[in-house]
Amino acid sequence: MVNHEAHEAAANDRTMFGFWLYLMTDLIMFSVLFAAYAVLQNNTVGGESGRDLLSLPLALQSTLLLLTSSFTCGIAMIAARRYDKFQTILWFGITFLLGAIFLSFEMKEFAELIHEGQTLQTNAFTSAFFVLVGTHGLHITSGLLWIAVTLGYIVKRGLNSNMVRKLALISLFWHFLDIVWIFIFTIVYLGAFV
Amino acid sequence: MSSTNHLSSAERRSITSYTVGFILSLIFTLIPYYLVVNQVVTGRTLLITILGFAILQLIVQVVFFLHLGRGPKPSWNLYFFIGTIVAILFVVVGSIVIINNLHANVTSSEQTKRLINGEGIYQIGGELTGACKGRYDNHKVTFKDGKIDPLVTVASRCDTISFIEDSGVDVALVFGVHNDHGVYAGLKEIELHKNRTKTITLSQTGTYQFHDNMQPEAIGTFAVYEYK
Repeated sequence: MVNHEAHEAAANDRTMFGFWLYLMTDLIMFSVLFAAYAVLQNNTVGGESGRDLLSLPLALQSTLLLLTSSFTCGIAMIAARRYDKFQTILWFGITFLLGAIFLSFEMKEFAELIHEGQTLQTNAFTSAFFVLVGTHGLHITSGLLWIAVTLGYIVKRGLNSNMVRKLALISLFWHFLDIVWIFIFTIVYLGAFV
Repeated sequence: MSSTNHLSSAERRSITSYTVGFILSLIFTLIPYYLVVNQVVTGRTLLITILGFAILQLIVQVVFFLHLGRGPKPSWNLYFFIGTIVAILFVVVGSIVIINNLHANVTSSEQTKRLINGEGIYQIGGELTGACKGRYDNHKVTFKDGKIDPLVTVASRCDTISFIEDSGVDVALVFGVHNDHGVYAGLKEIELHKNRTKTITLSQTGTYQFHDNMQPEAIGTFAVYEYK
């Protein structure tokens, strides 16, 4: 029995490490997008810059939403490791909800920018902005899908060690997206008003 | 949580860790936000300060949320994380240095055109740039109460045109028609502040439309012919 548990713990570690490697490569991809943004942010060809287009209060709201969701995700993981099905679904549900509100804010912001004639093709600044923020948004979208599908499985089949391992990966992914967002908030949004 | 008294001490430590991390990251978000909104410090100092807070935030999240490096075995996760950070520093700093350098030494053709016209550089290395040498006739166009007077100006190349604002509001003069903006001699927009005059040299021939982006109803036209 002890042997079996040790075996499972080693398998868990391997899975986590594999996923961690994926996150690190993803981080390098984001860093390239950040570098592109840092270099191109002033190339608006006489058009409106980030200072004219972006809203700081909206960015702060988004940041607080995502920070809170990262926290609730951690709490959810503690419940999951205790195999508390109700608390796990509750806290991951809250995480999902906060993430969905975050995404709706971002989509609203994008829609308004496009309505104002600021699209991916307008200038180098908008290209870099939409690609960087949009890539993060796509990650959030896939994270939300992942949470939804996994919660669906848990409701149907219960919370077993296999599910806890999946949830641990989700929470790792979610914390990672929170960290990337902190840099988007600082460099793109706060940076535009420096 | 209602069931706090059923938690093991390890779980209670985890919850404390998440809560401390959450509060710290809230603080490290609100401070830079406050600094930027109120412009307590400005320029480079501000930029470095907010980047510093982002890095503090990163450390908080890595320690309190990801629990990186907390484990008995050699923590490969931590080593890979550090390796990745080093790679990122190379990529980001390297890109910024190299591309900024390129950017400073190579300017886009539109920027070059604007520079040539603005500075009146009519030849570079014996080759004519198309910019004008000396001043010729001057034409006046007045923006008043959303109207443009005269609506049509006919000029020779190398003449100048003065845009005059005469009703005490700022005008954002753009070329082309509304929602389909164009460029004239590298210029996309002329910011014409209230009661001020801006003069440009008509270095490019052809017929061009312009309007005030704030009041796009009135559309002016100028036609520029080659100077004889």
